[in-house]
Amino acid sequence: MTFDPEFALSILPRILSTITTTLFATIIGCMGAAALGFLWEIVRRSSKPGRYTMRFLIDFIRSTPLLVQIYFFYFVLPEYGLTLPGLVVGVLALSLYYSGYLAEVFKGGIDSIPAGQFEAAKALGLSRLQLIMFVIAPQMLRNVAAPMGNYFVSLLKATPYLAIIAVPEMLSVALEIASETFRYTEPMTVVGIIFLTLALCFSGLVKVIESRLRLSPKAG
Amino acid sequence: MSLFDIMASILVGINVTMKVTLYGMLYAVPFAFVFGVAQHFTNGIPRLIVTSIIEFWRSSPVIILIYGFYFSLPGLGINLSAMTVGAMVLGLNIGGYGSQAVRAALQALDPGQVEAGYALGFRRLRILYLIELPQALAAMTPTFINQFIQLVKGTSLVSLVTLADMTFLAKALSQIHYAPAKIYTALLIVYFLMCYPATIVGRMIERRVSRGREVSHDL
Amino acid sequence: MQSALPPIAVALSNVSKWYGKFQVLTDINLTVKRGEKIVICGPSGSGKSTMIRCINRLEGHQRGKIVVGDTELTNDLKKVDEVRRDVGMVFQHFNLFPHLTILQNCTLAPIWVRKMSRRDAEEVAMDYLQRVKIPEQAHKYPGQLSGGQQQRVAIARSLCMNPKIMLFDEPTSALDPEMVKEVLDTMVSLASDGMTMLCVTHEMGFAREVADRVIFMDAGQIVETNAPEAFFSTPQHPRSKLFLSQIL
Repeated sequence: MTFDPEFALSILPRILSTITTTLFATIIGCMGAAALGFLWEIVRRSSKPGRYTMRFLIDFIRSTPLLVQIYFFYFVLPEYGLTLPGLVVGVLALSLYYSGYLAEVFKGGIDSIPAGQFEAAKALGLSRLQLIMFVIAPQMLRNVAAPMGNYFVSLLKATPYLAIIAVPEMLSVALEIASETFRYTEPMTVVGIIFLTLALCFSGLVKVIESRLRLSPKAG
Repeated sequence: MSLFDIMASILVGINVTMKVTLYGMLYAVPFAFVFGVAQHFTNGIPRLIVTSIIEFWRSSPVIILIYGFYFSLPGLGINLSAMTVGAMVLGLNIGGYGSQAVRAALQALDPGQVEAGYALGFRRLRILYLIELPQALAAMTPTFINQFIQLVKGTSLVSLVTLADMTFLAKALSQIHYAPAKIYTALLIVYFLMCYPATIVGRMIERRVSRGREVSHDL
Repeated sequence: MQSALPPIAVALSNVSKWYGKFQVLTDINLTVKRGEKIVICGPSGSGKSTMIRCINRLEGHQRGKIVVGDTELTNDLKKVDEVRRDVGMVFQHFNLFPHLTILQNCTLAPIWVRKMSRRDAEEVAMDYLQRVKIPEQAHKYPGQLSGGQQQRVAIARSLCMNPKIMLFDEPTSALDPEMVKEVLDTMVSLASDGMTMLCVTHEMGFAREVADRVIFMDAGQIVETNAPEAFFSTPQHPRSKLFLSQIL
């Protein structure tokens, strides 16, 4: 049995039909991960107990496999009466997992803002929330655009994990086709190429955004 | 079943987890150095080929590569064990990331170092391992440690292709005893205990590499 | 309006401060009347910057009492906010926000702290940019301006909050020599409007022209307080003499 291009082409539409799920999970996952990661980082800087709690939480998230975290939420939450759709559980787990990495990225981004920026904002009477929103966040985002983008691409590539908790996305459709036809090579190749293309496009986009930011006059 | 009993049953799979990690390293480290150096040395079409190979392993989702290789290779007449497929795919994926650390560290060096090497009469390869690599090693170490953690965590994926690692055993256990909260908590703790020391060491080294630039603004 | 304000702008009594075991301020006593201009000088590490940074609580003090207007500075964040709203500060390195335009730098605090409407805030900001003579730069970013221009923007940014007191922390020491004058001119014109000013600076021409008093600090203490002319011509304390002989 060798690779059959005709068969590969014939299953392409069926696999692509669930690309919206992949994109949805990626976009919501990235937004959730950035929001949570930023929250962790702000709490980490706010007080001593906050610092130790968040450091442990972030280290714990980063030191355990995404696969196990997904299983954990998928199988454990129902035990406490919280039964959520697989897609919701999956996006939640992706957000949480990548929030641990983004918190570290944000830490670096905030640390490289000069101390004078914090002092000037305080001297002008800005509140802590105003300082964070108007002075810290915008400058931090400029500093972290590249590494944050790389984690977003990484999150995209992690969306096929949702297949293991029965979310109908591209990998699960490919596996379904494989078990129907007993042909693995074509569906896996097709889904692999789609993801590779998406990942390369996304990282290209990240590079463009990064160089735009570097060229803008504001960076001076 | 107590948490302790559960952990004991899960730990039966640690030898598979460690084996995949170890074999994975055997793929990852050579791949990282060979391809990182190759990307550093080449130009034009050869470089494009090197980059494509790296990008294939680095940018494809690992879970798809594992399924793909495990299920398709037999159809193409290649019979590899699940262990080999898992170690190879995980290792080359991690090696792909590692190669970028190697290349970046080599490119960050002052070009004067290579010129000085030529001036002393060394040939290119000798300059590489006598002058460039020793200096670049410090800069790649934090990435290597982080990638090692990614590899250990990644081994959980071999449970999807029937290898009885810790994750596989935990899943099997939860099908016999309905106690997912306890079982998956135990599994998370075991992985945490395995990876956390590396996280700490990595942070220490990272701090040493970036010493003097350490600042922290409290909010 | 001026008469409704308390006659004492800032009062420090027996203020001491430590960094760990190292004492940076020792028993500082200083009363600044409304409208008074004070120039503070002294060798580096003498605690002069630390002292004025305590007045808007960028640094906390451990002992003694600091009263600004009629608010005593404590750990009470509300009071700190109150004081900061009324005290403007100009830094050595300008500290403009690089991601905001000149105009946005000037309107950020009025809009969010003073709760002014955007339109009013922009009007006020343009007024002050006019006064510091750079209204045409309003839509540029700080990185596109020279150091002297940036420092004038920083002064305008503080003035937009309509402060009752202005603190200057070595405002000209990070500037190229040819830009010092434009910043000092701005400060002189501000002084002639009756602003209460505390300036850490070694610009003696400025001190002679506007200061009511010169304060000399060394090793965390106020060593000498004198009229500017007397301070520069006949300093009283041996340490003042030594310092002046070094910078003249």
